[in-house]
Amino acid sequence: MALDPVARAAIVAALGPDDVVDDPVQTRAYECDGLTGYRVRPEIVLIPRDAEAVARAVKACHRNGVPFVARGAGTGLSGGALPVADGVVISLARLKRVLEVDPVNRRAVVEPGVTNLEITAAAAAHGLYYAPDPSSQQVCTIGGNVAENSGGAHCLKYGFTTNHVLAMEVVLPDGELVTLGGDSAEQLGPDLRGVFLGSEGTLGITTKITVRLLRTPETVRTLLADFPSVAEAGEVVSDIVAAGIVPAAVEMMDTLAIEAAEEAVHAGYTVGVPAALVVELDGPIEQCDAEFAQVKEICDAHGCTRLHIAGSPEERAAIWRGRKAAFAAVGRISPDYFVQDGVVPRTRLAEVLGRIADMGDEAGLRVANVFHAGDGNLHPLVLYSAAAGETERAEELSGAIAELCVELGGSLSGEHGIGTDKACSMPKMYGEEDLAVMKRVRDAFDPEGLCNPGKVLPTPRLCGERPGKYRPHPLEESGVIERL
Amino acid sequence: MSDREGTLTAVKPASLKEAREAVLDTAGRISIAGAGTAADWAGRLGHVDAVLDTTGLSGVITHNPGDMTVSVHAGTPLRALQEELAKHGQHLSFDAARVADGATVGGLVATADAGPSALVHGTLRDLVIGATTLLSDGAVVRSGGHVIKNVAGFDLAKLLHGSYGTLGVLVEVVLRLHPVPKAIGTVVVECDLAEAARLAGEVLASQLEPTAVEWLSSGRLLVRIDSTEEALPARLDRLTRLLGDAATVADGDGTAVWAEHAALTRGEKGAAVLRIGVRPSLLPGVLEGLPAAAVTAGLGTGVATVSLPGTAVAEAHAAVHAAGGTSVLRSRPADLDAPAWGPPPSALAVHKAVKQRFDPDGRFGPGRFDPWEIS
Repeated sequence: MALDPVARAAIVAALGPDDVVDDPVQTRAYECDGLTGYRVRPEIVLIPRDAEAVARAVKACHRNGVPFVARGAGTGLSGGALPVADGVVISLARLKRVLEVDPVNRRAVVEPGVTNLEITAAAAAHGLYYAPDPSSQQVCTIGGNVAENSGGAHCLKYGFTTNHVLAMEVVLPDGELVTLGGDSAEQLGPDLRGVFLGSEGTLGITTKITVRLLRTPETVRTLLADFPSVAEAGEVVSDIVAAGIVPAAVEMMDTLAIEAAEEAVHAGYTVGVPAALVVELDGPIEQCDAEFAQVKEICDAHGCTRLHIAGSPEERAAIWRGRKAAFAAVGRISPDYFVQDGVVPRTRLAEVLGRIADMGDEAGLRVANVFHAGDGNLHPLVLYSAAAGETERAEELSGAIAELCVELGGSLSGEHGIGTDKACSMPKMYGEEDLAVMKRVRDAFDPEGLCNPGKVLPTPRLCGERPGKYRPHPLEESGVIERL
Repeated sequence: MSDREGTLTAVKPASLKEAREAVLDTAGRISIAGAGTAADWAGRLGHVDAVLDTTGLSGVITHNPGDMTVSVHAGTPLRALQEELAKHGQHLSFDAARVADGATVGGLVATADAGPSALVHGTLRDLVIGATTLLSDGAVVRSGGHVIKNVAGFDLAKLLHGSYGTLGVLVEVVLRLHPVPKAIGTVVVECDLAEAARLAGEVLASQLEPTAVEWLSSGRLLVRIDSTEEALPARLDRLTRLLGDAATVADGDGTAVWAEHAALTRGEKGAAVLRIGVRPSLLPGVLEGLPAAAVTAGLGTGVATVSLPGTAVAEAHAAVHAAGGTSVLRSRPADLDAPAWGPPPSALAVHKAVKQRFDPDGRFGPGRFDPWEIS
């Protein structure tokens, strides 16, 4: 079924031909996001120049019943920006102005196409920064961050995108422009801004965002510590938490991830150690120093084999370069890989890592682990070779790891989103009634189901009909809740 | 609540199952009530046929100290929960005034209440990581989970935040916890609002990381520091020097000055208490223009609570709205006929659509969003 010519003409006319891409060769550039395994070529790509043009584009789609998908930098890892066949992609790439930096009220107003790091760059002269820092922050856009409720290494202490966005101007799926949120944390009625944040582009398109800025901390102290086992490193994290310290970040890498990262960026990690921790503290100098001394003691008490303290901003940057390079670096030791994003309660880290290793052995595949140890957000990288026919096995292992996280009381996704990738796994985490009520939210914003359809919530078309027999809620199985 | 028909059913379920049965077995409109500490906040409740008392849904379900999360029945008084958590050196970083009056976790979420430490820790919307909610048609929905980092599915707890009992009954709530600060200190400066605003600007531009910056209409600026024991004296010393000669450190951890803050926030007896939020830099100007008797003003958050004569409420809504802010009426004299809300938000149609999908027969909390005609 191709796009109806009348609808096509109306949508093109909404923006004018200069802001429309419909050449099949050019639209191919939009066929996938960071999850390259899924590809769908859109019929038309619209590149509006301002919020009003986005609203006109959406209105034209809505009037003609044509599905549309918003797109930022396309760095998402869950297929959240996967186009719909015969549908429209609305690129926010041209909405990239920093509209206001207000140092007195510690906030900035930006358009969705501004990158995460550009916000901090714009604020830096005032001693301010934007806290959420996804690994892709140099390229990912704030509009995408809003859609995905992006986190980052420092969200353990500072929270996620949802905690740092005060207000958004949004084009609703019928083309109306509204504001969600406001100038303070006081809201009028139910927090629509909160439910919109992290809805993965299914409730509307953001065209302007007011973010909170934080004062840069007085001191930042960073260490890199090697441990004889992942379990020992995990104990360190537990002891830091038990001591009442809230670190700015705690990251862990296993031996395979260290090897890959070191090969790629030579950041000074020790190749061959079973586990490395990056611990960062920040804050007023007296407090930061006292707590940092405690962290060092805890590391020593757990058989730390090497403790490297960043002595300069450059050394700190090197430690982070190694950590942030780990994903892409895995490409050096394996032709292909899947990234997972499951979360477990932090106290079950050692258990989940043991089980992932067993599952990898069973599948005959290697799994590298890089993760946010402070909040239990794993990023297992399942290594495989498509050429060797391992794709299906790797995909299965990857899905099984995400579902294992749910079994252990966690979540399918900590920051990458459900998107296309994990929509069919949602029934593992939520019961049918839970998903049905989430659908009510979706319907309230988008009764026609035109805005980024097929993402987040499972549909029979994508996932097949679910079996008719009663499926107990995971919490019910674990005895946490009762069956009605 | 009104009782024009003369028969008002009261139900007090002790479990999710009983709550669901109560909602399904009760005909007509229902008021969801917690401890009653904010029963007259927001729009005046219209006619209801039954009251669903959530205080029987009480107690901790699971507390995982190592994970710093807790799940509780929503009718649990937060004060009681905090006492439980304190045994493990943890707490919910939340300090709304009415916690001390026995307010329940669910009630605090539904009324979007918050205290001075919202400057750093945000409101409950920032601290709730999961919820189980009962809808008026008996549907039970679980959203979020038991881990602090989780982006799977729509975050329905956000919708319940500020819903004032109009969308669903919060039955269970999962919260993210923080360590109890090992030492707390408060610096006090006796000054008027204009001077307080100037000083607050300096504190917020510094790297001293205050947890709360509040001005009281008794003529005091309070700046709180949460710290480790070793670091507190030095941090207070730097703060005192920054704030100038008039600054003094409050006795102990400042309990007395913060109790005064809570009392002023609850408001004056017989007055209309209005909660307002604006851009922080506009707050002093807005407050100067109001005939307020008691005021607490978050100079970093832009959130203030003021006690006004009932006759000044409508004008106050208009003034706050003109400054781009929002306002809602809290406690007020029983006979006061004043609007609870100012002009509606631009997404009013979405609010109505959500209400329609969640509570199509308009059973929960009628009147709470009058005059917007949502509920």
